Amino acid sequence: MRQFIELLVGMTEKELRVRYKNTVFGFLWMLVNPVLQMLVIGFIFKFFMKEPVENYYYYLFIGLLVWNFFSLSLTKATPSIVWERNLIKKAKFPRSAIPLAIILSNFIHLLIAVGILILPMTFLGTLTFTGIFYVITAFILLFFFTIGISLLTSALNVRYRDVNFSVQAVLIVWFYVTPIIYPLSIIPYRFYWLWRFNPMTSILQLLQHGFLGKPLPGPAMLSINTLLILFIFMLGIIVFGKESKNFDDWL
Amino acid sequence: MKSKKSLAVRLTNISKHYIIHHEKPTLMERVINGKNEKFKALDNINLEIKKGEIVGIIGPNGSGKTTLLKIIAGITAPTKGTVKTSGRIVSLIDLEAGFHPDLTGYQNIFLNGMLLGMKRQEIKRKLNAIIKFADIKQFIDTPLFTYSGGMKLRLGFSVVAHVNPDTLLMDENFVVADQEFREKSFDKIQGFHDQGKTIIIASHYLDFLRGNCERIIWIDKGIVRKDGNPNRVIKEYMRHFKTTAD
Repeated sequence: MRQFIELLVGMTEKELRVRYKNTVFGFLWMLVNPVLQMLVIGFIFKFFMKEPVENYYYYLFIGLLVWNFFSLSLTKATPSIVWERNLIKKAKFPRSAIPLAIILSNFIHLLIAVGILILPMTFLGTLTFTGIFYVITAFILLFFFTIGISLLTSALNVRYRDVNFSVQAVLIVWFYVTPIIYPLSIIPYRFYWLWRFNPMTSILQLLQHGFLGKPLPGPAMLSINTLLILFIFMLGIIVFGKESKNFDDWL
Repeated sequence: MKSKKSLAVRLTNISKHYIIHHEKPTLMERVINGKNEKFKALDNINLEIKKGEIVGIIGPNGSGKTTLLKIIAGITAPTKGTVKTSGRIVSLIDLEAGFHPDLTGYQNIFLNGMLLGMKRQEIKRKLNAIIKFADIKQFIDTPLFTYSGGMKLRLGFSVVAHVNPDTLLMDENFVVADQEFREKSFDKIQGFHDQGKTIIIASHYLDFLRGNCERIIWIDKGIVRKDGNPNRVIKEYMRHFKTTAD
């Protein structure tokens, strides 16, 4: 176990070191993407919104930051085992370290970005002490969901390379069925059940509540989303454990 | 009880089946075609290798040598049967794998060492020895993409050698840079043998195996054809191929 953690830390360090090697702005690139998206989407969507969302730019920025973490982790983790095939062929080590290191390095970036975001937010006056509790809960759910789904897709992608393409296609649609650029309240209630199958809904709503005091996810939403997250997490671990024994045969 | 303890590797009823993929199957093809063609790389292998033995594995291409090594190394799992090994096993396959070109030699030593099963503390302790053996002291702080091919191989070998394995697996395409370093690395491997470590080599170089091994295992079409004294097994192996050639 200790060995595994050390390996994971080492691989995560590698990811962090290598990512922004030879770049001038380095880590700032992590913020450039959501800022650009925020400015463009914020400007355009203001014309579409019937009821404007209060602190809309902040609202967008939180959602985009979290979404970028999720989609970047998933797109990088899914082909990671295939990508690192020469490691798989070289030695026996816990294969899960490969996708986990990608997720961990992204998660560290996310936390730093959120830390930066908190500074201007203190002036909004929406941050409360209890808000921290919701934010932490959301990050825990996000972390487990990303790990679960990445383990699943990275393991399956070794045999079925279309998984990688499906992930890319699904992520584009997924962005729009997650309340990132709009609040869930603009959706008629009779369609809410659709969002209950999207675990990202509660995660986003918890964060929007914690940071900006937007409405919390309803009990049905939160419980179904959480159950789905747990289910996918377990499924990811089981499938990865089963498939990883024979990764070498397919690489 | 005592004899079990002194075993380095014990394979019981090991079979390995590969699914033949002429092309990587897509999910769709799999659903449509259903069952897959299978290929038996290893068929019910039973093998015991004692601690401290130096064993050669021979056989024509495609006979299952590499699969056998991979199963012993734990890189892939057998379809059937059980593998029991004792201590740390390291394979000298693909020495440069696991190096990242953008990281320095120093950082790569840590990364590679951990992949091979060492703890950070252990690598720290052995760091100087690793650098010295690879002879790259000057370049230890520079990124790996500036290294020559020989330097990378030397560093790769040096890390593996300092893992201090109990069992060492070698494939035939094991080559280490120039003459000088080759001798140095063979000395190191010889040193392992002297320390009572187990060495398993898969190779086509029969003369080399005859000179260095205590035991030869001849594998053919996934089964153990002969197992024993090097001279005897190699003689039969050569006779077999002469008669099939005639």
